[in-house]
Amino acid sequence: MIKDSLNRIWILCMKNVFLYIKKGPVLIFGLMFPFFMTLSWVIGRDISVNQVFIGIIAMTSFFTATAISPVVLPIETREKSLERILSSPISLNEILLGILFASTLYSLIITSIIAVIFIVMFSIAFNSLIVILLMFLGIGLMSFLGSLLGLLVAAHPTDMTSDVMIIVNLVKFPLLFISGIFIPLQNSSPSMIFISFVSPITFLTDLLRFCVDRSNFFAYSFDIIMLTLWIIVLFIVSYALHKRTMPKRLSEAGKSKKKMMMMKKNM
Amino acid sequence: MKTTQNQNLNAHPVAINVLNLVKRFGDLIAVDDVSFKIAQGEIVGILGPNGAGKTTIIRLLTGVFQLENNAKIGIFGKDITKNPSKYKKHFGIVPEISNAFSDYSVWQNLKFSGRIYGISKGKVEKRSKILLTQFNLIEKMYSKTKTLSKGLKQRLNFCLALLHEPPILILDEPTSGLDPISVKLMRTQILKLKREGKTILITTHDMQEAQNMCDRILIINRGKIIADESPNTLREQFKSTSTILFKIGGDLSAEQENALLNMFNIIKEKNDYYVFSSYDTLKDISKLHTFSKERNIKISDLKVRETSLEEVFIHLIKEDLFVIKEDEEK
Ligand SMILES: Nc1ncnc2c1ncn2[C@@H]1O[C@H](COP(=O)(O)OP(=O)(O)O)[C@@H](O)[C@H]1O
Ligand SMILES: [Mg+2]
Repeated sequence: MIKDSLNRIWILCMKNVFLYIKKGPVLIFGLMFPFFMTLSWVIGRDISVNQVFIGIIAMTSFFTATAISPVVLPIETREKSLERILSSPISLNEILLGILFASTLYSLIITSIIAVIFIVMFSIAFNSLIVILLMFLGIGLMSFLGSLLGLLVAAHPTDMTSDVMIIVNLVKFPLLFISGIFIPLQNSSPSMIFISFVSPITFLTDLLRFCVDRSNFFAYSFDIIMLTLWIIVLFIVSYALHKRTMPKRLSEAGKSKKKMMMMKKNM
Repeated sequence: MKTTQNQNLNAHPVAINVLNLVKRFGDLIAVDDVSFKIAQGEIVGILGPNGAGKTTIIRLLTGVFQLENNAKIGIFGKDITKNPSKYKKHFGIVPEISNAFSDYSVWQNLKFSGRIYGISKGKVEKRSKILLTQFNLIEKMYSKTKTLSKGLKQRLNFCLALLHEPPILILDEPTSGLDPISVKLMRTQILKLKREGKTILITTHDMQEAQNMCDRILIINRGKIIADESPNTLREQFKSTSTILFKIGGDLSAEQENALLNMFNIIKEKNDYYVFSSYDTLKDISKLHTFSKERNIKISDLKVRETSLEEVFIHLIKEDLFVIKEDEEK
């Protein structure tokens, strides 16, 4: 039973990666945004290579993770393939996990590639193997966490990807700016440190600082615990919301088409 | 003749048993307390105009929409209301609008379905080849689904529905909007499936199609089943019917209008036409003629049409009300 279920989740996951990795919003918000954000942050400033590395890894894992998970359900609602999935022997859990794993995998792979390239190119040195493992654990946790965040927003039962992307970005950018990515927590005021607690990126950045040059502010174990707590809370909330909105999803299907037709008529 | 029941003695004689289906969209009651049974090996049509609730019934039955109130669904004698996902493999569904993954090729769609239904790789390949040949789609095996015409997409939907060899087929307007060649192919295949012993539920708004293909027809209007008949009974009932339309020159007094309405079971339509359906066109026209002469009413613009499906519904609904009235009087 569990083996069958895992098998279905894996099939759904591969389908999501294969079908949605090339979609416009995924490319724009997953790859272009972290790239240009990093450029505009680094250019003309005197930032150490280590700091740039930490910033890039934190941003890439967060952005790529929040790229696929929000768009899958709106696209499949619009293209009606969600109806095919719902009428097949697949449970809601399996649908959601299939999306989460796809999104996590995508983020994990892209971020790891960038990390390895950066480490080799700029010969960033690590003290021990454990520290490297810790870094990838952090990337993995953030990939999963970002995927959950995207999935949570996708509980809004719409069939327009733009609808969810607007909300995702409204959440994403504030979380990025209040995190300790751009200004190390050591140099921040106590009130900023307090605010930065709201953003999970703070804890990934801090964990990466520990791994790269021990310039961390919290204990690394605390960072891991905080990321895990975030994951647990997001998981519960997002599952509960989807359980409520999934039945509404197909009732909403076709509404955007009607809206567009009405707009055309009015023109 | 139902050869199927001999073939599969273990299966329950009732393939589908649906009780009290209800679905609301806001204020609209799209499906209003629908119940029906379908025997194993039977091919049953749900016939109704657009918006009658056919697709919604199918979505409730196949677990796309969640059941409301105390609705119950039984498949081969097992109550699946609590755990629908386990029984979904018994259904092969051809949807009204193609819902295959549009960025997958025909073959990738089949492979995906095969894996979801837990069919082994070799078997998926073998079955796919057979089905694609049967539905004349083998040349398009590696084409992306979104590049296929509507007719070809529908053929793919049939292949996908049949891949896991389900005992029950659910077809939502499988021939509507298709080219004549595809329509013919679909109908031939559906009848072949029936001969193979599949239980088939098919929706349509085409009376002719329902009459030619089904063992039984459920007529549905505004979410309610208003008739459950064999095609022969229906045919008998409506063979000789026609619809008579006419206008009245000048104004009618209330008394005159009352007399007219009582006489012919008239429905007043738009554009000032009076409309009624007739079992005996000539007799009714002469009756109308005499009636108008006697009361000095001027009839203009008299027309006779063959009864359309719409009018059959109206007729049936009227009969429905009539039966209820009679019951109350007793
Ligand atoms: N997802 C939906 N949201 C709101 N109303 C719907 C939805 N689906 C169907 N309806 C309404 O329910 C009624 C029945 O629709 P449907 O079952 O599609 O009819 P049919 O398949 O017989 O043409 C129609 O009035 C339709 O407008
Ligand atoms: Mg329909």
